[in-house]
Amino acid sequence: MSSKKSLDDRLSKRLPVWLAVAAALALLPGLRAPSYRAAVPLADFGRLPALGGGRIKPLDTVARTSLLELSGRQTLAGKDGSRAALEWLAEVSFDAPSADKENVFQIDDPDVLGVLDLRQGRRRLYSFNELKGDLALIQKQADEANQVRGSSRSRYQSAIISLQDKLELYQELENTLQLAGAGNIAFGYQYLEGKLLPALAEHFKHRHTDRTAMSELGQYVEQFQFLAKVAAFFPLPVRVSGQGLHWMSVGEASIDRLRTDSFHPGLIAYASMGDAWRSGDAAAFGKAVEDYRTWLAFHAPGPASWVSDEFVFNSFDPFFKASLLYLAAFLLVFASWLVYPKTLSRCAFALLAVAFVVHTAGLGTRIWLQGRPPVTNLYSSAVFVGWAAVLLGLFLERLTRRGLGTMVAAAIGAMTLVVALHLDNQGDTMEMMRAVLDSNFWLATHVTCITIGYSSTFLAGFLGVLYIAQERLAPQRLAESAATLERMVYGVVCFSTFFSFVGTILGGIWADQSWGRFWGWDPKENGALMIVLWNAAILHMLWGKMIGRRGLMVAVVFGNIVTALSWFGVNMLGIGLHSYGFMDKAFNWLVVFVAAQLLIMAAGLWPDEPDGVRP
Amino acid sequence: MMAPARRRASAKGWLSAVSSPKFITFCIAVSMVLVFAGTIAQVSMGTFPAQKRFFNSWWVFAATPWGFRVPVLPGGLTVGLLWLSSLLASLFQRFKYGWKSAGLVLAHVGLILLLLGQFLTQTLARESQMPIQLGHTMAYAESTLDTELAVVEGSDPKFDQVVSIPYSRFSRPGEIKTPLLPFVIDVQRFYRNAQLTMASAAGAATQGVGARIAVQQEPPVSSDDDSNAVTAVVEIKAGGQSLGTWLLSSGLGAPQTVHVDGKDYRLYIRPKRYYFPFTLTLKDFRHDVYPGTDIPKNFSSLVRLDSESGHEHRDALIYMNHPLRYAGLTFYQASFGQNDTLSVLQVVRNPVWITPYLSCAIVILGLAIHFLMSLQAYSRRAA
Repeated sequence: MSSKKSLDDRLSKRLPVWLAVAAALALLPGLRAPSYRAAVPLADFGRLPALGGGRIKPLDTVARTSLLELSGRQTLAGKDGSRAALEWLAEVSFDAPSADKENVFQIDDPDVLGVLDLRQGRRRLYSFNELKGDLALIQKQADEANQVRGSSRSRYQSAIISLQDKLELYQELENTLQLAGAGNIAFGYQYLEGKLLPALAEHFKHRHTDRTAMSELGQYVEQFQFLAKVAAFFPLPVRVSGQGLHWMSVGEASIDRLRTDSFHPGLIAYASMGDAWRSGDAAAFGKAVEDYRTWLAFHAPGPASWVSDEFVFNSFDPFFKASLLYLAAFLLVFASWLVYPKTLSRCAFALLAVAFVVHTAGLGTRIWLQGRPPVTNLYSSAVFVGWAAVLLGLFLERLTRRGLGTMVAAAIGAMTLVVALHLDNQGDTMEMMRAVLDSNFWLATHVTCITIGYSSTFLAGFLGVLYIAQERLAPQRLAESAATLERMVYGVVCFSTFFSFVGTILGGIWADQSWGRFWGWDPKENGALMIVLWNAAILHMLWGKMIGRRGLMVAVVFGNIVTALSWFGVNMLGIGLHSYGFMDKAFNWLVVFVAAQLLIMAAGLWPDEPDGVRP
Repeated sequence: MMAPARRRASAKGWLSAVSSPKFITFCIAVSMVLVFAGTIAQVSMGTFPAQKRFFNSWWVFAATPWGFRVPVLPGGLTVGLLWLSSLLASLFQRFKYGWKSAGLVLAHVGLILLLLGQFLTQTLARESQMPIQLGHTMAYAESTLDTELAVVEGSDPKFDQVVSIPYSRFSRPGEIKTPLLPFVIDVQRFYRNAQLTMASAAGAATQGVGARIAVQQEPPVSSDDDSNAVTAVVEIKAGGQSLGTWLLSSGLGAPQTVHVDGKDYRLYIRPKRYYFPFTLTLKDFRHDVYPGTDIPKNFSSLVRLDSESGHEHRDALIYMNHPLRYAGLTFYQASFGQNDTLSVLQVVRNPVWITPYLSCAIVILGLAIHFLMSLQAYSRRAA
């Protein structure tokens, strides 16, 4: 026993540090560009900038968010393993006939499948070729469904509208970088430059009209007008004096040639990339991308560099890596209760610290890329709730050093990041803010305070879960930690009362500033109010000695339910029973979460054995 | 001799009961149930009716299968009153005044102010809307919920004479007499909501457009984006003689005209109007979107403000989070329409708008003092 203890002592000095260093080193390769299976070098293609959804982002992000919207996943599953979203985007852009065979359209709704005469089977993804024959039918059904106002649509109606939106997005993507299915694009531009445009000049200058050339030119212009109309994103920057960069679609830039002296270099580059992709010419593809990136570095240096950083952010995927590390830290604390308590709990703390650094780096990158405070939508709120809870947990661990803070922080960190990873299929997680939300001041104050309130209420709640679990499963462990846990929970409840209250009030002030109503009993406001009320109730029950230590723990577990409902439940209200897709699944998980908390509360309230000692 | 002392003792007993943590916890629990129920109810009832039923009421009633309604929950006003009495009692009874309790006392004083402010807001505040077209000038706002029966006489070129009859008066059948009008309006039928269709045979009224329109009763709607077509059939009597019946409805675009004593009177049922001693002219409306999308980036209305007294003529830019406050009213950018040529301003009159700001500052200060003192004590013990 003594030798084991001394081994634990000896190991606890070095091992945690080595573990942290090893974890950090293991993360480093993630910063390199990922490898793709395509025949051509794609990484730099993914670093090209485009304006989409109101912001400038790398094509890699365009690819990921588009594929997510269509198929609910970020990779393309095929018979021979999965391929990256970027490869799929290149195929959609440059080789539409092949892309039409890929299974990317997610259709879950049995009624929609019925309308399309498809049998519901294991498969949830369908290809464009399978749906091509029914485009008019889907359009008609969706138009009819669109007559119904959003909140009163049936599940089928929402689903058919969603399918129509997906089909539109897909066909727009096919016609953004070039006309779907066209070949020899670069040659087309040469032909325009060498033959048709001189013919046009001739027409204006000398009244000499080459009728064939004019009609060919007319066809090209028609094509370009079509491309300009349907473009899903705008990949070509032009400097407009006094206004900064103006982003054009391929069609618009091609038509623009009629006013200017030469084609936009991006046009030629994308045309060559397309031709090289179709012929599998890796060298030509690489050269086209490289030349264009050189041009961009000179003519649009800002976007060219920050979209490149976003590309690294995407492929590093910090929140996924952090969630794995949190999970490892959680398991290590658990293991430390069985063997080598000192070493393993320190190792857990070390991993938690590394995970927190990765988490912070990810959060910081998002803030920097977006130029916004951390929380701008549901996805980022999940990331931030976890971050703030881990920060508080680390602080508690430094104060108490019993592994309790580490365990709870790791659990919340992992869970919130998993929630975030499931929330990101709503599309671009760095979407632009609608007008009323476009206020960095209020986002930074009100939203951040409210979210810290969520974090700390969850932290208290999970400490309560830990207490009840120990009491029921390992009562001898609880004897040492009960008083510490109680002090921690009390402190965190005070903290969250303060932040929830301040956040709620700031929200009222924002509401008063933007639509003249300090308090409008809006569902989201009410949700925040419930958290304040419940925390205040806990404090008054404690001060009035209406509850003891165990009552406090049960009460804070109930706080988990209140917080989860006001965080997610409120978002489900509007779409309620008619919701489709993600929110349905989220609703089921919410029910599971609430049920689990109720069970834990019941376990906490269950009477002790007659001879049992109530701590 | 004993009686006053006992009375004092029992008053004291009441105070300490009302300020006891048990009672406070009870109040909080009831509030949570009320807020939860009120939030859920908004889905089916619409925001405003749910607010009125749950938060701006003394009791929340529910229908029973036997036809009568029973109170199931104390309403927002009752709960507010409970809170207020409990908070006041705790100030008199509960706190041992001193530095240690300074933060908590402050927080509770702030809460009292917050509750009073919210109560005053719910009773005094008035919201209306001003839909204003590009280039047009308006001197009034319209209620979004309340309708009026307006009689307008426009023979004077300088101003119209308007007589407004409130909803509560014309929503029940019977005669409306006023010395301001040379005729009597006899409400014969009234519909809270109705559907108007072209009549195949005889119309709902004998005069005006009503002679060609049939009226069908509809259940009133309460959701946020529907509106009721408030409709009435009225008989106009002058000098003891009937001039016929007219159909009036907020669903009709144009007024109905009645000719009495050589003057034309226009009759409307329309959103209730609130007139201001100044006018606003919409000079410009901007609706910016993020490039390449239809996500709105900004809405703004440039208005010119001219006071009736003629002392103030200035421009004001109203945009998101930047309202115009003038003459006790606040104008917010609320909505827009008609291809960006119509701007809808939300107009709020709330004389106590400042109380939440004050009270919140006090509560936040109080909580901060209290919790920081606790934290200090905690870390001293932990060390």
